[in-house]
Amino acid sequence: MPGVDHCLQEAMAIPGAVGASIVDYTTGFPVATTGAAPNNDHEAAAAGTADVVQAATTRSLYVSALPHDLLEDLIITTAGGYHLLRPVQTDFDSRLVLYLWLDRVQGNLAVARRRMQTLADELVAT
Amino acid sequence: MTTLRTAAPSRLLTQVTGERQTGTLVVGGHPGGAVYVLEGRVIYAESPAAPGVGELLTASGRLAGRTWQNALDLGTSTARVGRLLVEQGHLTQGELELCVLGATYDAAYFALSAPEAPIDFLPGATHWLGPVAHIDPGAITREVRRRVRLLDEIFPDARVDTAPVIPVPRLPRERVPITALQWELLINADGQRTPADLALLLGKAGYATIQELRRMAALGLLELPEVRAVEAPELVRLPRARGTAVNIKRPVIRADDAPTVPVLKPGEAPPTVPVVSGARAAVPAPPPPPPPPSLPEAPPPAEPPRNSLSPPRLARRKPGAKLPKEVAGEPPPPVHPGTDEVLLKRIRTALRALR
Repeated sequence: MPGVDHCLQEAMAIPGAVGASIVDYTTGFPVATTGAAPNNDHEAAAAGTADVVQAATTRSLYVSALPHDLLEDLIITTAGGYHLLRPVQTDFDSRLVLYLWLDRVQGNLAVARRRMQTLADELVAT
Repeated sequence: MTTLRTAAPSRLLTQVTGERQTGTLVVGGHPGGAVYVLEGRVIYAESPAAPGVGELLTASGRLAGRTWQNALDLGTSTARVGRLLVEQGHLTQGELELCVLGATYDAAYFALSAPEAPIDFLPGATHWLGPVAHIDPGAITREVRRRVRLLDEIFPDARVDTAPVIPVPRLPRERVPITALQWELLINADGQRTPADLALLLGKAGYATIQELRRMAALGLLELPEVRAVEAPELVRLPRARGTAVNIKRPVIRADDAPTVPVLKPGEAPPTVPVVSGARAAVPAPPPPPPPPSLPEAPPPAEPPRNSLSPPRLARRKPGAKLPKEVAGEPPPPVHPGTDEVLLKRIRTALRALR
């Protein structure tokens, strides 16, 4: 039975993972966290995550260019790392995104992205 | 042993969780709510203004109403409704946890954001859902404060959170981008539903609903409460009586009841009340001639009714008895579908909070 904590443990098992969390992107609140966060502040990181997701979903036109063309993931690269954001699609009303911070040298973006997809699906799949 | 007093809900929560107590913190007032504590950790919260786990799961169609009811029937007495749903394969553990976490933070905002409210702590009382999430009470009170601040940053007018939602009839600008949730709120706002009604009806989180409403208010898409009362009274749709009740002041016009326009004897001063029903009456004219004998289709005058126009005296009825047929002739006004359901849900949530 993969619960929220199990999902985050699995995320931390992805090669190069530094920290992971599940963020409510309407309020910018970390529902669950594990590992490190930028500046060691999960709550501030979550607030920033929410801003980025809001910008992509409501303030840009990338997402809504075609009907049902929903956001799949967001990837932000910095000199030191990768930041992956993947919305968790639940049937009931929620606005959650899975966030993973990867080390740039040890992490593999393609692998991490596929694993994140599996994790987000498994979390809510019956 | 209970302690009924008026205090800051979040402070009392910090106190009882600091003592690692188990029980239920019941918060009165509007909207109020309840926060369930197990050995110093928050396991659940509910409020009439926030859809609970059951409403979220059934309103979205994730669970059939019957499935949810079965789990309630089986698990309520032993407080393991949540576990049952997962064991029976209706939900994954992840879904249940995320749903409970979302509903708890949502209801905690409504229960704990009031600076002062009548509070009761019921030691030992637990929730039928059972412990699914164990949340640090400090995280909850911090998040509640943050959410209050976030709303005020969007649009600092708390009346938007509780007043019936009324979209403006004309947009204040040429183009307005609207999110999916805003659209759902707009098309379901009928002028009577409050934000809490809409949240329950649509199965959306109460806080997310308020957040979108404040954004729309900031864009000028909603009528603000003080505008409704003073400048645009014709936009207010007062709740109408239901069932067979009729407006007792409604004049019953019969064929033999002519004249329907008050007759003024020559020499009598015309009524000082402004009459809006007839164009003639507005003009300061000689005393109006006696009306023609048959005028049943003339609109009833706006001045206070007298004599034949006054409501018929009715015999005293037993409580609950229906009005006589000739009085209750008007068909019952259309009742909005969904209103009853929302009301029942709110009553149920309130009763549950009292348990």
